[in-house]
Amino acid sequence: MGDQAAISIENVSKYYRDQVALDGLSLDVPEGSVFGLLGENGAGKTTTIQVLLGMIRPDAGRAKVLGLDPAREGLDVRRRVGYVPEIPALYDWMTVAEIGWFAAGFHPEAVVGTAGFLSRYGESIRGFGLPADRKIKALSKGMRAKVSLALAMASDPSLLILDEPTSGLDAMVRREFMESMVDLAASGRTVFLSSHQLGEVERVASHVALLHKGKLILAEPLDELRARTFLLAVNFQSRDHDQAPPASLPIELIDAADAPRQAHWLVRARDRAACEAVRNLPGVESVRIETPSLEDVYVGHMRARRPAPAPTPGAAHVA
Amino acid sequence: MLIDLSESDGRPIYGRIADRIKFAIAGEVLRPGELAPSVRELSKQLVVNPNTVARAYRDLQAEGLLEPVRGTGLQVASGATERCRSARVEFVRGRLRSAIEEARETGLPGAEIEAILHEEWGRGGGDRANGKGA
Repeated sequence: MGDQAAISIENVSKYYRDQVALDGLSLDVPEGSVFGLLGENGAGKTTTIQVLLGMIRPDAGRAKVLGLDPAREGLDVRRRVGYVPEIPALYDWMTVAEIGWFAAGFHPEAVVGTAGFLSRYGESIRGFGLPADRKIKALSKGMRAKVSLALAMASDPSLLILDEPTSGLDAMVRREFMESMVDLAASGRTVFLSSHQLGEVERVASHVALLHKGKLILAEPLDELRARTFLLAVNFQSRDHDQAPPASLPIELIDAADAPRQAHWLVRARDRAACEAVRNLPGVESVRIETPSLEDVYVGHMRARRPAPAPTPGAAHVA
Repeated sequence: MLIDLSESDGRPIYGRIADRIKFAIAGEVLRPGELAPSVRELSKQLVVNPNTVARAYRDLQAEGLLEPVRGTGLQVASGATERCRSARVEFVRGRLRSAIEEARETGLPGAEIEAILHEEWGRGGGDRANGKGA
């Protein structure tokens, strides 16, 4: 992975009349990464993509995509980036082959020849098993998504941006999309996707960012996130127990679930050893330290139940 | 070489990939001198980020089990088969130890745990493993 950022977003904000779509968003997408943008519906994922493609202009901040400013050079950005929108915008009456010819017209630099747009498009279509002479309107949702992906890849872009590419698609098509993304990453290209499919993102992504109500909650390499996030399943001796790890420990609480003699704490810590200290807290009977799935991490950050920790370790305990 | 990552035990994926390759070497599905699949091939097969496979391969190289072949890729090092066999033993020991510890933590009496252990071993068909690890 290179040191360069394929995408760089600096303090971007976007306001609509009654809501804040993006609030001071800053993040960098390293070249060669598979970057998963997560967040609830309405969190600002699509708005982010629209800003990156120069389809809307931010109210503050700026973005850089492959070294270009989408607000000023939107057309150039859209020509150099492969984009797969959430709902493919394809002419229903064209056949699979015809839409390839149509799109090729926008990439005159390399239309024909073995390395050309059409030849790459043709290869993808064959690889996906799509009938060249079938009209788009006669294709299933999954096949349409594949046409959209084939079109995006045909210009051999170094960056692909996909907005919820597999939403509503069956497992087989989702698997084919994932394989394509892995293949793109393996050849050094950058893939930026927004997705709700956390299980998939967990496998293929190298980086993740979490957006919530227009604000960035986290953005980091996935293996770092996994190495530093833990689920502590704590059993206490009595019902009157700490609601959160004490502030003196090098542990940051993300979400706490409570029950009479138990607590589940989703935490961030430097490493597993830092979590071991919880075992020695007064009133603790046992602790299981587990690695949460990306879904657990996501839900934890969304719930963000963070009661205040006891003021001094041990002081608040009733024996 | 096909490997199977279906079972998740919370350990990082790259570690599980490295283990599966070690078992494939131990079971002679992959022999010394044979080429390991490329990062690209394996990451596509397992549908995981290529960095994950690259990391597994780096670890295996650091352990001297895989070695680079100029311009071609990584091949299984000589002597890797025996070393992977002991790695296999260690893996099984570690997994059984965790399972036994976990069972003990439930508070179930030791004799019952042992009985269950024997039952489960028998149910699996006893000595049915083919030794191939694939």
